[in-house]
Amino acid sequence: MKKKAWGNQDNAWGYMMIAPTIIGLLILNVYPFIQTIFMSFTSAKAFGGYKFVGLKNYASMFSSPEFLRATWNTILFCILTVPVGVMLALVVAILLNAKIKGKVAFRAIFFLPMVVAPAAVAMVWKWMFNAEYGIINTVFHLKVDWITNPNIVIFTVAIVSIWSAIGYDAVLLLSGIQNISKSYYEAASLDGCTKLQQFWYITLPMVSPTLFVVLIMRLMTSLKVYDMIYMMVGEGNPALSKAQSLIYLFYRESFISGNKGYASAIVIWTVLLIGIISAVQFMGQKKWVNYDV
Amino acid sequence: MNKLVKRGISLACSALLLLGFSACGSQGNGESAGKGHLVFQIWDQGQKAGMEAMAEAYVKSHPDVTIEVQASGWDEYWTKLEAAATSNSMPDIFWMHSNQMFKYADNGILADCSEIVDESNYSEISVENAKGSDGKIYGVPKDKDIIGLLYNKEIFDEAKVDYPDENWTWEDLENASQKIYDETGKYGYMAYSHDQIGYWNFVYQNGGQILNDDGTAAKYTEPATEKAMEYYIGLQKNDWCPTQETFANTAAPELFFSGKGAMYYAGNWDLINLCATYPDMNGKWDVAVLPKCPDPAKGDGRASISNSVSYATAAKGKNRELAMDFLTFLGSEEGQKIQGESGAAIPAYNGLEETWVQTFADKGYQLDVQKMVDMFDYSVKYVNNPSRPSWEPKVEQAMLDIYGGITTPEEGIQKIQDLVTEAIEEE
Repeated sequence: MKKKAWGNQDNAWGYMMIAPTIIGLLILNVYPFIQTIFMSFTSAKAFGGYKFVGLKNYASMFSSPEFLRATWNTILFCILTVPVGVMLALVVAILLNAKIKGKVAFRAIFFLPMVVAPAAVAMVWKWMFNAEYGIINTVFHLKVDWITNPNIVIFTVAIVSIWSAIGYDAVLLLSGIQNISKSYYEAASLDGCTKLQQFWYITLPMVSPTLFVVLIMRLMTSLKVYDMIYMMVGEGNPALSKAQSLIYLFYRESFISGNKGYASAIVIWTVLLIGIISAVQFMGQKKWVNYDV
Repeated sequence: MNKLVKRGISLACSALLLLGFSACGSQGNGESAGKGHLVFQIWDQGQKAGMEAMAEAYVKSHPDVTIEVQASGWDEYWTKLEAAATSNSMPDIFWMHSNQMFKYADNGILADCSEIVDESNYSEISVENAKGSDGKIYGVPKDKDIIGLLYNKEIFDEAKVDYPDENWTWEDLENASQKIYDETGKYGYMAYSHDQIGYWNFVYQNGGQILNDDGTAAKYTEPATEKAMEYYIGLQKNDWCPTQETFANTAAPELFFSGKGAMYYAGNWDLINLCATYPDMNGKWDVAVLPKCPDPAKGDGRASISNSVSYATAAKGKNRELAMDFLTFLGSEEGQKIQGESGAAIPAYNGLEETWVQTFADKGYQLDVQKMVDMFDYSVKYVNNPSRPSWEPKVEQAMLDIYGGITTPEEGIQKIQDLVTEAIEEE
């Protein structure tokens, strides 16, 4: 006998229990998302007025050097921050897992940047990177325009971004490493494996599921970078066009210039970009992520 | 232990919730005219005290009214105001900048204030800035502002250069800067990328224009305009002027008040805050009128850009009657006088400039602010037209590209001309 899904008492309860989350999701995420897709085909005017313009926003977007530059900046930013950042986080996680004195204190210190507001982090680093009076140029006797040289600025932002993300990623990876059974290492050392071999053949494969999660998360955050650039580079900086990310361009178009339709097209493109890159990663995971423990 | 912590957290959360609800509850009381609660939104923290002083004076004669002044940052202000306008939940009273006046007025967001504004009471520029495209008045003139030259007396003394006076020309500005740099190694005139506070003044002094008189055509490639813009941009090539890169690291006011640079242009609205922020510098710096153009293509070489802010209320506001009454007070001689005395801004009301000037003397700030007021004789109205919100950010970016060496000044100015022309046509 077939049961009616909706009539079932248990199912009704189930739906009721998830209703608060689902309703919230529909109102706060799904509805605005559909609205944004719709708006990207209009030339939205101020105060909710709009005119349907078809693919015009997308056409002018792909012919705009500013937009192409922002896309490249965003991808470059990911290339700079994700591999280096995740690798450093892994190293930190392994070091924090070692038997050293004050381990807890070190863990807290590395996690600290995560607790500080990103705006405050960006401001302090901006002062440190100040070309004339900043501590970095003073201590190392450099004369580098960290924030205003168009060829350097994106590296500067990447450094700060890596610095502030490392602690969080390391803590996630650390929990993955601690889940690895000690017996593997014991067996390996009996067989005469070096520490490096242990890392390569035991730690890395065993932590790969966590590593994959960290990688995906870091990539998405990097593709959506905005706050660091807003705080550290900002308006009035001649290097801005070499540093602005897609979301920063979106912010300027939407909230400063008021081109909500065009800005929506930029966001939809960003979503597609994130989708494509994540899809590639999920396909690639079969090659290196190890799920059988 | 764990349970205790959990219970503590849940208690704290429910307490917060309760607080939130009660805060909401206290807002919607008393709707009848002459009674109620007004929210007054502004973008300048520095003027909050002045606005509160006016609200207090109004509440004194209207004891059933409460007025809450809320200040936020500039960018955030416009994001919030637009969202509020779209959802018809605007604050009862808010500031309207001439940048955005056309956008809000022409979309029917603002209440018509023609009935409570007697144009003859206010300065011409302030009244013009309160008008929509249809020529009707959509705000009560609040103030008028002007650009002046700030200079550090100590650096001038050190370099043995005479202080700037009303006879100064661009050449004097350059010569003094050179001498200061040679004698002290400090920056002279700091010409940073800015329209209103920067190159617009030079353009109008040279007899050029940014837009034509009725705002329907861009004039960037007019010879007088182009020449002045190239002159202004070129100032950064001198050793005595910081580059745009330096300004992005450390802004001109910071360089000025840390004694690293001798001169920069600033709006009068900054002065009272600067005095309060740098009490140790009192008496060590002063203001002067802008140096004039020595060989203008047209006119006498004098100009200073003047803009103004208006007070406005929503066309569909809930407390409209009461808001209108408060707006009338804000525009009255009494209200404007209180504003002037707070030092926040020069009142738009005719003949009240003195109240603003007097405040500086009363507070013991040694600043010859009368010089700022003197410039109203030849002030030029802030450049504006309905499409400004769409072209302004693009022009700013194009200027930065010129400063960054990505485009030449000539190409850049042509690009700006095209951008603005396109924006005007699209409108």
